[in-house]
Amino acid sequence: MIGLAAGSLPDDRELATQILTLLRGPRVAAAFACGGLLALAGVLMQTLFRNPLAEPYLLGASGGAGFAALLGMAAGLAWPWVSLAAFAGSLGALALAAALGGRLLARDHTPLLLAGVMLAAGFGALISLVLSIAPAERLPGMLFFLMGDLAWADRPGLLWVALIIASLAAFTLARRLDVLQLSPLKAASLGVAVAPTRWLLFALAGACTSLVVAQAGSIGFVGLMVPHALRRLGLVSHRVLLPAAALAGGSLLVLADALARTVLDPRELPVGVLTALIGVPVMLWLLRRP
Amino acid sequence: MSLFARQLSLYTGTRRLIDALDLSLAPASVLGILGANGAGKSTLLAVLAGLAEPTHGRVELDGQPLAAWPPATRAQYLALLPQEDASGYFGSVADFVALGRFPYNEATTDVGPWLAAWELTALATRPLATLSGGERQRARLAQLAAQDAGIVLLDEPLTHLDPAHQAALLRWVRAEAERGRAMALTLHDPNWAACHCDRLLFLHGDGRWQLGTPADLLTPPSLEALYGPGTAALWQRGTPTLPV
Repeated sequence: MIGLAAGSLPDDRELATQILTLLRGPRVAAAFACGGLLALAGVLMQTLFRNPLAEPYLLGASGGAGFAALLGMAAGLAWPWVSLAAFAGSLGALALAAALGGRLLARDHTPLLLAGVMLAAGFGALISLVLSIAPAERLPGMLFFLMGDLAWADRPGLLWVALIIASLAAFTLARRLDVLQLSPLKAASLGVAVAPTRWLLFALAGACTSLVVAQAGSIGFVGLMVPHALRRLGLVSHRVLLPAAALAGGSLLVLADALARTVLDPRELPVGVLTALIGVPVMLWLLRRP
Repeated sequence: MSLFARQLSLYTGTRRLIDALDLSLAPASVLGILGANGAGKSTLLAVLAGLAEPTHGRVELDGQPLAAWPPATRAQYLALLPQEDASGYFGSVADFVALGRFPYNEATTDVGPWLAAWELTALATRPLATLSGGERQRARLAQLAAQDAGIVLLDEPLTHLDPAHQAALLRWVRAEAERGRAMALTLHDPNWAACHCDRLLFLHGDGRWQLGTPADLLTPPSLEALYGPGTAALWQRGTPTLPV
């Protein structure tokens, strides 16, 4: 409701209704689904790597998406094609990370982590290269994409279907995820098929992340902060943590997007700026709690 | 239910750790595994638990190769306490212990008895990460006990425990064996091994191994062959270092 209400509306009742149903409604829906998907992906990545600092973009998904999208924009492609390029770039980066570092995933996630972090750094350099040689008039669009911007999102229905499927899939894995927080050897001795489950987590997190970056660019902080904050608030069992993360991630992004649209009205800010501006103080406050 | 290792060989790279080991873990027995650091004790336990592949040979649970068992079913019969810590776990001690019931797919679990048995009741709601090393080791043991498997493999279970809790752990191992479980543990103190194990397996780390009773194997020459010159003084000829 906050998302729908935020921002001014014209006095003309018909025009106001059209703005709400055709523009603001879909955007709020897209924001919620993107936030939910990112927070889910964050939970899955943190469990996969047994590390609270893991986040959806750790393995180069946003770098691959950003590079491919920027190449598309520099070449003058229109939005749906840029979105497809970002989706392919993200999946490509994750596939490359898996091919380079996934061989030992049954026991050790470090090679995958290192391959992903290296790829992310490499794509970061390529993004800088494209930015430095791209035509000046295309730079603002590129920067908004890199910072994350829900103005691009034109498929809220698709995002919601993905959110529902991903939530259900993750929820069916919840008990296994609880056990995977232990060492791989211990998890295996408790009866979890570690390698297939880890690949499933990787694929599910990768699909969620790729879909979001293809629709809204690299919105930061949601996937890192929401799972971490919920765990610090005591939601540890994945049967509770997963649905809570989807709800909290979605709500946070709706709130951030409402602020992004209104604080400097009529100018819009990239929503990624707002998620970080909200997220950093909240995280710091949570870290100070005993 | 028994676990058999047949003609088991373990190599790491070109180094031979164990050659052609035949071993059975029978109900109501305690096997102590001794060897120098790097001799292959942990690798052997992982192979016996079905979580690592031997270079040659095979491990059978109830006559079936371990790989043929569905993981969750296998986990109801065969449990392992690995050496490494549960450092990635965010939850409470009670939740941590409840993970031991994972193979049984229960809707709810009352972990009270296992918490009480390992003196963890007062710590039940504490995050596992805030416990001391020894308290955490007890939580890991409580989780292992909750798994309720007939064959229990423990890799250096005495780590981090104070002497009183070490003695309590070894009493528990003996009591579980008397209730019919097959227990195997790696340990370093020959005196504990003498007091609490029915059989010992010495791993020399170069392919050679010896299997026998404590009376057979705990002699100054064989201890020096296992651990090196001068180490026979560790052995106090059956006198436990603490009352147990």
